[in-house]
Amino acid sequence: MMGRTIFIDPGRCIGCQACVSACRECDSHRGKSMIHLDYTDEGHSVASLPTVCMHCEDPVAPCAEVCPADAILVTADGVVQQADTTRCIGCANCVNACPFGVPKIDLQAKLQMKCNLCYDRTAYGLAPMCATVCPTGALFYGTLDELRAERPGVQVADSFTFGDVVVQTGVAMVVPADKVQWPVPGGLPVVEINGVDVSGANPNQGGGARQEGVR
Amino acid sequence: MTEPPQTAEPTTPEPEATAPVPEARAPQTPAAVRRRAVLAGTAVSVLLILAIVFGSRLLRDFDSALLPYAVATVFLAFGVAYRYTVWVSAPGARRLFRQGWRSFFSVANFRRAPTALPRMIATYLGFQKFLGARSHARWAAHQLLFWGCVLAALITFPLTWGWFTFTSNTGDGPGYEMRIWGIKVLGFNALNIIGWLMFHGLDIAAVLVIAGASYFLWRRMKDRGAVTGQRFAYDLIPLIALIVISVTGLLLTFSSIFLHGGGYEFLAILHMVSVVFTLIYIPFGKFFHIVQRPAAVGMQLFKYTSRRKDGAGEELQTCRRCHEPIDTPEYVENLRGTMQDLKLDFDAWAEYCPRCKRVLRGNAYLTHVKKGFK
Amino acid sequence: MTATDPSRALPLDPSVAPPGTRNFRDAGGIPADRWHADQNGETLVPTHCCFCGVQCGMYLRVDRAGKVFGVEPRNHDINRMRLCPKGINAYQQVNHPDRLTSPLMRRNRDEEFRPVSWEEALDHTVAEIRRIQGEYGNDAFGLLGGASLYSEKTYLVGKFARVALKTKHVDYNGRLCMVSAAGANKLAFGIDRAGNPFSDILLTDCLLIAGSNVGECFPVMTQYLWGARDRGATLIVVDPRQTAIARTADVHVALKPGTDSAFFNAVLHVIVAEGLTDEAYLADRTTGWDEVKATVAQYPPSRSAPICGVPEEQIVQVARMFAGADRAMAWHARGVEHHSQGVENCLTIINLCVATGNIGKPGAGYGTITGQGNGQGGREHGQKSDLLPGGRSISNPEHRRQICEIWGIEESELPAAGTSMMEMVWQMQRAEIRGLIGICNNPFVSLPNYATVKEGYDTLQFHAQFDFFLSETAANAHVVFPVTVWAEDEGVMANAEARVVKHNKAQEPPAGVRTDTWVMCELAKRLGAGDKFAFPDSRAVFEELRIASAGTVNDYYGITYERLEETGGIAWPCPTTEHPGTPRLFEDGRTYHPDGRIHMQVVEWHPPMDPYSEEYPLSLTTGRTVAHFLSGNQTRRLGALVEQTPRPWVEVHPSHGFRNGDPVRVVTRRGSEVFPALVTEAIRPDTVFVPYHWPVPTAANALTIDALDPRSKIPEYKVCAARIEAAERVDEVPAPPTAPGRPAYPETQVSRTDPLPPTSPQGRGTAERS
Repeated sequence: MMGRTIFIDPGRCIGCQACVSACRECDSHRGKSMIHLDYTDEGHSVASLPTVCMHCEDPVAPCAEVCPADAILVTADGVVQQADTTRCIGCANCVNACPFGVPKIDLQAKLQMKCNLCYDRTAYGLAPMCATVCPTGALFYGTLDELRAERPGVQVADSFTFGDVVVQTGVAMVVPADKVQWPVPGGLPVVEINGVDVSGANPNQGGGARQEGVR
Repeated sequence: MTEPPQTAEPTTPEPEATAPVPEARAPQTPAAVRRRAVLAGTAVSVLLILAIVFGSRLLRDFDSALLPYAVATVFLAFGVAYRYTVWVSAPGARRLFRQGWRSFFSVANFRRAPTALPRMIATYLGFQKFLGARSHARWAAHQLLFWGCVLAALITFPLTWGWFTFTSNTGDGPGYEMRIWGIKVLGFNALNIIGWLMFHGLDIAAVLVIAGASYFLWRRMKDRGAVTGQRFAYDLIPLIALIVISVTGLLLTFSSIFLHGGGYEFLAILHMVSVVFTLIYIPFGKFFHIVQRPAAVGMQLFKYTSRRKDGAGEELQTCRRCHEPIDTPEYVENLRGTMQDLKLDFDAWAEYCPRCKRVLRGNAYLTHVKKGFK
Repeated sequence: MTATDPSRALPLDPSVAPPGTRNFRDAGGIPADRWHADQNGETLVPTHCCFCGVQCGMYLRVDRAGKVFGVEPRNHDINRMRLCPKGINAYQQVNHPDRLTSPLMRRNRDEEFRPVSWEEALDHTVAEIRRIQGEYGNDAFGLLGGASLYSEKTYLVGKFARVALKTKHVDYNGRLCMVSAAGANKLAFGIDRAGNPFSDILLTDCLLIAGSNVGECFPVMTQYLWGARDRGATLIVVDPRQTAIARTADVHVALKPGTDSAFFNAVLHVIVAEGLTDEAYLADRTTGWDEVKATVAQYPPSRSAPICGVPEEQIVQVARMFAGADRAMAWHARGVEHHSQGVENCLTIINLCVATGNIGKPGAGYGTITGQGNGQGGREHGQKSDLLPGGRSISNPEHRRQICEIWGIEESELPAAGTSMMEMVWQMQRAEIRGLIGICNNPFVSLPNYATVKEGYDTLQFHAQFDFFLSETAANAHVVFPVTVWAEDEGVMANAEARVVKHNKAQEPPAGVRTDTWVMCELAKRLGAGDKFAFPDSRAVFEELRIASAGTVNDYYGITYERLEETGGIAWPCPTTEHPGTPRLFEDGRTYHPDGRIHMQVVEWHPPMDPYSEEYPLSLTTGRTVAHFLSGNQTRRLGALVEQTPRPWVEVHPSHGFRNGDPVRVVTRRGSEVFPALVTEAIRPDTVFVPYHWPVPTAANALTIDALDPRSKIPEYKVCAARIEAAERVDEVPAPPTAPGRPAYPETQVSRTDPLPPTSPQGRGTAERS
């Protein structure tokens, strides 16, 4: 399924937020940044994680599925577009349903906005702005072969587990060679909150056993 | 201008891709949805036909020259009812649809905030305040377009259906009376200002629509944000159709006043064709947002009333990790239900805010995939 | 819009959304409405970034009205389209509402500035120069340049001081940057530049990065580090903090600040002890090896490990890794250079490379990463107190004669060597220097021990400053000349590889703004040296610079604007217009000393100048963060960067018992300030860190010590003794100064007063913004 897409490698990310600034420069949403950059290991290290839309393929675009207004379209090349401005009613269903925490919402404008893989640039053969400027290659745009030409032997994974569900995505993440068969853990079930182990204390989540199996 | 390769609608709300397992309460097989939609469409069309027949006093007031328009409105009614039924059968829309109407019909809600609904309708449907937050220019242009279309529809639809008649006792003005369903509601002089407005209402509407649509067309040529992902059939045809209707409509007036009817026949046909096409197009393209937009009010009313609940006051569902507010508990419950309907079984995730989802995923990656460079 | 609304007055639109998903902030605080995306017919002007020494290529987007309105990545071989957040936002300086657009003047510091005509400002300045020099002698007037100027302008600064002002007191802010490396390079190799291009990093087997937070200060250079690792190279990072590159490094040596030479001596000790030196190379190519060997014999790991606060095994591990690699390479930056023994720290690293034979080969070598855009070029052509163009020494009679001939002056007229920037400030305090022109620098933020600096500048009878935004220093001056930003003039810069690149002019300067070249030439004309300063533009200056550098080590003669435009950059020395330039030095094994050998230097470690005591037990170290540049006069006005990192913080280890955001007072012998705590395990427990881009009362440099390296005269920014204590409330970041009657553009300053520290040294996550 993987054609030209974004490959994310948090191990290379230096958290500089060039992607965040670059996203603002995109002509289709000038001034508004869609990418997320989180410091995921606060207090312990400077580790960081950039998050672009993962363009879910199976199940196809949960954000579009929960949309009550049919506002989120998926193009034939698998790109999940941002909400159609005429249809979006600003209900935030997509914001809270997205397993990766991607869509944003402008409450005043009643409009969802999210990464659309820089449709205005990719249509002209350019890479998305974030992956173009990323100083480290933590965000890489291209085919898997092009990635491997730069980083010999690199392996990627395009599926993520959220409890019992495996979500297969259009955007992939780099994984170590010995872990390529795994679906990458997506964070659910939650086993730890703010340093406290909650793995046994969360009745809402039934995926614990599965998580063990995945490991 | 970029045109993305054949855009597909999101798969799920469409009948083909709906989960095959039927729900306990409402059978949701694609065939069932289609059947229901056809039924709804037929029912609404029949009702409309009956309304035309009786509204025009058994066709006595019906203008046979307007027959094609009337037929098109019947098709329009069928299409809208059909699409609407399909639309609200999808889980996301259905749940919100129910919640919206429940809030609407709740007597308790009405007592607590009797003005909420009218205010919301005025804000979201009438003055479209949210568009101003997107861009002031787009808001202004859309208002022109909106009020122009509303004015035009209020005049033409009843005329087409034979519900309005304008008659003159003298046979040729200037004293006219306007009748609805045969009942006289207004008498006026065609030469004074009210009379002028009555006769030129459509011309005014056309001017408003042309101004608004031209701005949008110009923007679709220039603005890179708008050009991105723009499709001819979806984004440009509606604007072109509106402009053609308005221009030909204006030319009809021009022809009758200045050219003594020169070219009137041709223009009338062109005008009719464009109107009929647009009416039939409404359920399938961009114009369907006219039908969908009231859902914004339903959604808003639902969120509003669930936040006004007695005692609960300001209580919001907070993220299980960072304790920042996410939304009202009813909303989160509704979303989880939607996700369950769709077999998106990570609905428990909805109790975490997006940032915490990302941080927890980042943590899991550091712990279980790799910590460092390799 | 959040849950805090009182419940009775529930608004009609009570929608909530989780943090980080709502509230879009527009680009740079410049409202998106004013940045229409309907710019068809734009042109792309190829140029380079104005900020750091990497000198990334970029295109500036220019609209049909000729105004810069955006940036587009450029596939230049330095950066291959990559840019950092500073580079992406750099263009917003060009048409920024805070720009100065007319000269400002006042008779004394109690008055407000008033806008005046260029004639009045220039005439007044010249009258003051004549008055001060007439009364107190030529050397009573000083000139301070900057290393973010184009090389043409740095050449003019040196010439203006010596020929027009006829003063010996000229120096520049590169003195605060990488002069220690310059000194070490000159001593060891006889040439002052990095030995290898960035692309050699990709070929190395072992990469040592010492005292450089590459991920934040040179983000785009990280691609070379990662590229080397992709091909199997090991990475060693020496840094008291676990920076982004240190986090994943194969070895992270988290040594105590101020102990670098003890560490590198010990590493060399192990290399010698384990017989990993390249004896043949040492015998052939070097002098002084025996002395160095004898010295490092005194530094066994058992001695250095306690000094540095690292395990002995780590020293051995680094030694084996570095010396065991086929091709090894070392790059360093301010972390080892900003010390009272900065030159010596650099020399210990040079010794390491030389002893293992890692010099002048593909993938093997040594370099310093220059901090300012023209950190390399700015020190080459005579704005340094002791240097003349072409890296010539002002004390060398032969060099003096050559330059006097080129400039057409009598040798007796050419002043002697002056003093360094910090020393000039002390001279101002003592009223030995009574008048000053500052060009492209902001010492009120960038010099150590702010109290001294302020006193020195306040003692000046006359102070003029060139800048395009009103810096904290300019706000204290008598005359401010509004000059161009980098995109409004053309010129060359030399990056950290000594590659000379050309910046192109993208737009006309706003009305009322002149180039630095024009202002210096006008002043020179009024000082009676007009015939020596008949330069209409940068190109004319560059032609003279080429000639003035011909035949020297820093030979620019073969570099022309046309060649630079064709090639995308040429590394000097480049003696003829056919010469391809010299990306890699010492390939023939010869250095630029007359004997062609590397002169290895003995280094003994000594403790930092600010002694630890019971009262001041901790080390305070300072540095940069990725969203800001140097004194922040440019970046503290760009909304996106302010939003990413609105304020400084103090980074402390959890063992001190503070929680994130707690107000913590940092006290040194020179002052105390309160910062919010960023509590992280990524810093040594005995060390605290404060970034330095902000002015008082949030200035790290109000705390640092003005102790200098005796050779390079670089201040010891990277270590001083401190203590921390709980405080009541954090000090607020002041707004950047602006011309009278015009507030700092409010949209860009929205998050400036947010009290919380960022979540990580790189800034606040996107979901953590107010």
